[in-house]
Amino acid sequence: MHFSLRLFTLVAGLLLAAASHAADSAPKLTTPDDLGPEVTQPIEFPHFRHAGDEKDGGMQINCMYCHTYARRSMVAGIPPVQKCVGCHQNIPSVRETPRIKQLFDYYDNNKAIPWKKVHDIPDFVRFNHERHIKRFYFQQDRPYQEVCGYCHGDVKTMVVARRQKPLTMGWCANCHQKDHPVNATSTETGHGPNDCFTCHK
Amino acid sequence: MNENDFDRRDFLKVLGAGGTAVALSGCGYTSIEDGKETVTSYVTLPSYVIPGISNYFNSTCAQCEAGCNTMVRVREGRALKAEGNANSPINRGKMCGLGQAGVQAHYNPDRVQTPLLKGGKAISWGDALKEIEGRLSGVKGDEIAFVTGTTSGHAQALLGSYMEAVGSKNHFSYEAISPAVVRAANKKAYGVAMPRYRIDKAKVVVSFGADFLGAWVSPVYFSQQYAQFRKGNRPEGRGVLVQVEPKMTLTGANADRWLGIRPGTEGILALGLINALGSAGVKVPADISAAAKDYTPERVGTDTGVPFDQINKLAALLKERTPSLALAGTAAEGYAHGSQNALAIAMLNHVLGNVGKTVEAAAAVPFPQLAPVVGNRASLTALNDGLAANKYKVVFSYGTNPVYSAPAAMKFKDNFGKAGFRVAFAQYLDETALAADLVLPLDSAMEDWATMVPEYMAAPEGGYAEGYAQVSFRQPVMNRLYPDTRSIGDILLALLKQRKPEAYKGFDDFYAYLRGNVLEKKVAFGGSAKDDNDEFWNDVVGKGIVALKGVPGRLSPKPSVSGLALPAPATPDSAYPLRLIPAVSASMRDGRNANEPWLQESPDPLTTIVWDSWVEIHPKTAAKLDIVEGDIVEVASRSGSIKAQAYLFPGIHPDAVSVPVGYGHEAMGRYAKGVGANVFSMLDPVFDKETGELALNETAVKISKTGERVIIVKEEGPVGGSQAGRPRIAVKVPAGKVDLTKEV
Amino acid sequence: MSVSNLLENWSKFRHTHPVDDKGHEDWEAYPSDIKWAMAIDLDACTGCNACSVACYAENNLAVVGKEKYAHGQEMHWMRIERYWGEENGEFHAEQGAQFLPMMCQQCEAAPCETVCPVGATNHTEDGLNSQIYNRCIGSRYCEANCPYKVRYFNWYNYPEQEGAWPSPMEQQLNPDLTVRTKGVMEKCTFCKQRTYVARNNARNEGREVADGEVQTACQQACPTGAISFGNLHDPASKVAKQWAQQGVDINKDKQDKDKEREKIEHQDKEPEKALRGYRILEELRPYPSVMYLERVRDESAV
Repeated sequence: MHFSLRLFTLVAGLLLAAASHAADSAPKLTTPDDLGPEVTQPIEFPHFRHAGDEKDGGMQINCMYCHTYARRSMVAGIPPVQKCVGCHQNIPSVRETPRIKQLFDYYDNNKAIPWKKVHDIPDFVRFNHERHIKRFYFQQDRPYQEVCGYCHGDVKTMVVARRQKPLTMGWCANCHQKDHPVNATSTETGHGPNDCFTCHK
Repeated sequence: MNENDFDRRDFLKVLGAGGTAVALSGCGYTSIEDGKETVTSYVTLPSYVIPGISNYFNSTCAQCEAGCNTMVRVREGRALKAEGNANSPINRGKMCGLGQAGVQAHYNPDRVQTPLLKGGKAISWGDALKEIEGRLSGVKGDEIAFVTGTTSGHAQALLGSYMEAVGSKNHFSYEAISPAVVRAANKKAYGVAMPRYRIDKAKVVVSFGADFLGAWVSPVYFSQQYAQFRKGNRPEGRGVLVQVEPKMTLTGANADRWLGIRPGTEGILALGLINALGSAGVKVPADISAAAKDYTPERVGTDTGVPFDQINKLAALLKERTPSLALAGTAAEGYAHGSQNALAIAMLNHVLGNVGKTVEAAAAVPFPQLAPVVGNRASLTALNDGLAANKYKVVFSYGTNPVYSAPAAMKFKDNFGKAGFRVAFAQYLDETALAADLVLPLDSAMEDWATMVPEYMAAPEGGYAEGYAQVSFRQPVMNRLYPDTRSIGDILLALLKQRKPEAYKGFDDFYAYLRGNVLEKKVAFGGSAKDDNDEFWNDVVGKGIVALKGVPGRLSPKPSVSGLALPAPATPDSAYPLRLIPAVSASMRDGRNANEPWLQESPDPLTTIVWDSWVEIHPKTAAKLDIVEGDIVEVASRSGSIKAQAYLFPGIHPDAVSVPVGYGHEAMGRYAKGVGANVFSMLDPVFDKETGELALNETAVKISKTGERVIIVKEEGPVGGSQAGRPRIAVKVPAGKVDLTKEV
Repeated sequence: MSVSNLLENWSKFRHTHPVDDKGHEDWEAYPSDIKWAMAIDLDACTGCNACSVACYAENNLAVVGKEKYAHGQEMHWMRIERYWGEENGEFHAEQGAQFLPMMCQQCEAAPCETVCPVGATNHTEDGLNSQIYNRCIGSRYCEANCPYKVRYFNWYNYPEQEGAWPSPMEQQLNPDLTVRTKGVMEKCTFCKQRTYVARNNARNEGREVADGEVQTACQQACPTGAISFGNLHDPASKVAKQWAQQGVDINKDKQDKDKEREKIEHQDKEPEKALRGYRILEELRPYPSVMYLERVRDESAV
């Protein structure tokens, strides 16, 4: 973010502070305005086929089966090609389809797939996947599709993933200010950190 | 987290697919642009690599000869930072600034990337090796010379084999800054060249110019010992450090008493102390007593400039608090009579009964072919003489930069030119590489396999008695940045294959040689014959340290020193009235790391100057010469001259001036070239009489103003080291006034 | 926090006293038993600069070069100050020099916080002065108001225009923190990225951060172990023990032991042996979180 943008944020913030209070407090749902750009990926990966509901022709694979680092690390990570191949070498029915052929091309040539980042956040933001998954998936026992969906939207219905939420600070803070049960059975609640330094680096 | 349990080569292969091609923190660091950046992705990934979480690999630091064991932080295939290996008896989890800058040697933008012919034409490795083979054909063994820095481990073993294979005895191990004279004196006095010094056990340390906290031998190790030494609740009580040297070093800056002695009279003070100890009733062996008999405190006071009551006081302190430790260092050995200085100082340890208590014999590794071949300056003289006499047709150079560090009076560059064919193995195009006909690019210490045996063999707590010795392992912590660099081991192996293809055909590369060699000697390397080879190897590499039961060293009884005599202090030369003390700083050392910008930007601890050379002058001398801070002065000797900014410095003898070494590169890279002046160039060719070592402090100089003046770029403010009357900024208290016993 | 949140609760993010001012009400909802603090033993410190270089390596500090250094634009979060003994206006070196590692003192009532016009520097619930780079507009008021002069301003766009990391040097950059851009202030964070990881691990395992679990880069490098770092609220931590043993209380602007000593000195009596702990510029009441231990020099060798 450059100087002018920061200054703009400040000025806009001062002007809008009072007016925006009501709007601020209501969680923003996905609106067409918040959609990210369509991203062309080296392989058009069909999320709906893998993660989608059975009724929609999906296989209901847990997000964290492939994005396995999300529960263990700050970053969710992209699965290594080997992971894709691990299943697909046992699925002869689609072996000759164009996308799977592409996949095996990468694998056979020992080349990583240059996936494009869909959810880019600026470098000065520290977002911790592990922390959020621990909190909502493991402690609060919410369904994984809901938990991942808080920030990523309904990926199970998409082909190539596209950003659904604004991922702006106000949007993050909205959720952080809300009271969430600390675990699945407790009535005790807590909210996310409100300390700038926790999320800014 | 230490991940030991895997095959390193598979790991590197894995990362090779995409590990190093990552989206960097520095790129697009504030942009939010979906779909522009590429996500770090892999073909396969072992389970211990989790994106976003660092792995730590144990390795060995190559920034100086101390050989600290490191633990390098690696993330997404990039080496990020070197930390100390907590299990190392040398550095015990710690790292100095020079070691930290090792990552900048690796990522340096000025590295040589391909084999180069003179003039800069890039060629392939195949052609380069063919060129060497061609140039060597018909050349006799004794016409081949190899000049290196200190070498040890399996690369040294290969080098030894290569020299044998070509039938040459001309391996010159050259270090511009090395304790070579002290080694020789120690050998004479104690029977071992590099004993273990137990600073942690001494009650008083009298160091004659040994900068053991800064740049001497194994500074991180000594710093740990020093921390012990200073503890008020140590059984021996808080130690007292007295530093004797004409120019204050970092160690001198930490002394309880810094004695700015007249240059060259260190041995006289040592004998004076022996004399005073004898007078105080300490039993002095007859031969030492005879050597010291004329050195009364009054005379020594006059000769050395140290007040004679101070000499008596110091003698009383040494008598009262034993064991103590006397150290001879760089400042004491840098004279034509350096050997006598060092021997006199060693005798002080004998008189005080320190030998066997704070001076111990270290063990050696049980593999003589891996033992360090330590560098010195006499070997440069020998090489230079040979070159001048047209004795060498092919000269290899590795890990040293003699064209930069040889005094101009030796005319080394011209003589180097007389060799028919010169090959430099180099990471940078430094002065020596530029003078070579063929430059072979080396891997960085983050990319290559190597083993290292430290010259100064530290030991873990409790390991002193058992004859602890160690071999340190260095492993690639990331992929090569440039595909065409090679490790010194690989190059030597390739050269050996030209000579003895049969003997070495089983080894594809240096890794295979190293692994095969270690596994072959598995039992000697601390394993058992039953151990699985892979497991054993992974364990060795994972730990980075192989602790061995070494060959115990033995201290010899005190030798007779009946011949010990010291020259009278030199009378000042009227044309060149001042003495030049080339200063060795902890970060710049002999200048080989000058192209690492962190080191240029981190201020010299004593003067706080950055990015330049300076001339330290005592304020009184400066006043006499009408010099103020920032005056550009010319320092001229009979052998050359340099120009640099004057800095008024209270920690120097008024008859001496000091200029740091390591600056003034004419090549090497963007951070080193043209920064400061090269003081090596102006040294007078005076040598220690016994060892033939270049005497670094024997250059007489005169100083003149050039009329130019600059504002010195330095960390300290305009008040220059004054606390401006504020009471509690950096507070110092007398030891008698504080209660140290209950400290945590 | 959102803009409105910050503006409404502005005053609550500034500390004026470590005890009397409780800070932001939300901190209780995100409980913290942590107060990061340091102790630096000047007797052990040899002035070797290892800490400073380690800080460059850890925190993506730009190398500015000679010209900018001359302008006072260097970016070293951790610097070593060197002082001489002084008598009659002359420096003397008989007892060596004195070294003082100086970095952000993470004051409990920080002068920098109160002057920031945009609230870019705040007090965190684990007792740090945060510096939020993307919020900073570069007024440099904080730098002017800092009595320790440990805040460093990015006068240039180092990564892009100044080429501070020529390829491939940018590969060394620590991905755990950002590279600061032109026009923002930066300073020591007590290696926030490291404490963050330690706290996160402790939370995952449902425990407190153990003493020694997290080291700052300077502490980890220091060859003499002069620097201790830890949680002052954990009485078992080394740093808390050191503060307690030295009789230094973070909440006081003048320590009891110093008052006691002054009283004795007024009576012209010889005071008993003293303790070494002190804080720099304590009298200005910033309540710094770094305790220094005086350098000791033995007079028996003088």
